[in-house]
Amino acid sequence: MQAICAGTVFPACNGRRGFVRNAMADHESDVAVTALSSAATLVEAVGRGSRLALKRLYDLESRRLYGIALRIVRRPEVAADVLQEAFIQVWQNAGSYAPERGAAQAWLTGIVRFRALDAVRKSRREVLSDDPALGDSAEEPDVIERIGAAAEAGALRRCLGLLDDVQRRSVVLAFVDGLTHSQIAERLAQPLGTIKGRIRRGLAALRDCLES
Amino acid sequence: MIPDDPIDRSALAGEYVLGLLDADEAREIEQALPSQDALRGEVAFWENRLHPLAALAPASDPPPGIWEKISSKIEAANPSRLPVWWNNAAPWRWTTAGLAAAAAALLLVVARPPTGPHFVGVLNAPSEQAPSFVVLGGHREIVARAAGAAPPAGRAFELWAIYPNVSRPQALGVIPANGVLRVKDFPTEILAGASLAVSVEPPGGSPTGQPTGPVVFVGKLRSL
Repeated sequence: MQAICAGTVFPACNGRRGFVRNAMADHESDVAVTALSSAATLVEAVGRGSRLALKRLYDLESRRLYGIALRIVRRPEVAADVLQEAFIQVWQNAGSYAPERGAAQAWLTGIVRFRALDAVRKSRREVLSDDPALGDSAEEPDVIERIGAAAEAGALRRCLGLLDDVQRRSVVLAFVDGLTHSQIAERLAQPLGTIKGRIRRGLAALRDCLES
Repeated sequence: MIPDDPIDRSALAGEYVLGLLDADEAREIEQALPSQDALRGEVAFWENRLHPLAALAPASDPPPGIWEKISSKIEAANPSRLPVWWNNAAPWRWTTAGLAAAAAALLLVVARPPTGPHFVGVLNAPSEQAPSFVVLGGHREIVARAAGAAPPAGRAFELWAIYPNVSRPQALGVIPANGVLRVKDFPTEILAGASLAVSVEPPGGSPTGQPTGPVVFVGKLRSL
């Protein structure tokens, strides 16, 4: 490590020195890949076949992604399987990730969510509305306040605020908790047909607002 | 049936991203995605714009051992055929000696503009002095250009970086058919002291993330 950074005049190398050395101590690690720290750069490196980039991506993203999977499947052993399958899919598909189509974190989230939805629906373990696990649903009155403060979250927060209560809660229950139309209908005590129509109209309104 | 009406199409894409479609409907979307740009754009729109909602699921420590399972599954699918000598320092000593001979035979003049390259490398076959690749690095970009070298039919060249005291090469990318590879957003400052190598790989590059075919060109990056 010192052989690379010692005596260099490059500020980035100096700034990175301690970080790289710590990472090297933790696990055998390619210096270059360790220095690549954004999810997008790492996904592209995985696409070029770097396993060390995949490991670094796992270190960076696994807590966030495991939390997303656990919220949907609600069982740690199933969420662990989802996370494992998702990272194998990342390894296989990273070469087709196109940065111009969106953020790498959103791409990763999409893979984990769809894996989790598959798992929860294949197992046919319907989450009933009296399931005690639903008590900690993300769908709570202060949901709008809890969406992150980042710039991209600002527009979503504002636009969700324009939807009615049922529409907003439906979007959150579907995206975050992975509920189906009928589960949402039951949860919000609405007829199934009504829920479907309201979600569609809600999405149209959301799109109008997000685009403006 | 994917609707032609943009509002209906967008709502359908939104339902797909929310996970609200049944298995048959979702499959129909997935089959249409590769050929329908507008639908693909709508799906990307919703994936990106709804993504902040994912933060509502609190991050949580996954159980231990998951990475080991991922790693062993990948390894089982693509067993590494890494030649033993990659992990041996000796070949790089003779490589350096070979490069010195090549450098003596080649006078390389590079004008360096203020924002130009920081590094230059000339790669050649160990038995030959003629350069086969020229590589420039600087400002978060590496450019490698083939100089009279072409891969065997049905194979591709892949470029690797080898760092001092790091046993495994790092993949920099597969050389495209036009012979010019650009690696963008790369922290080129870490290349100080690195060597480069080109190996022969399957068309999409090494399936294992490490060189699998013969290493045909090698050279050291020099700071400018």
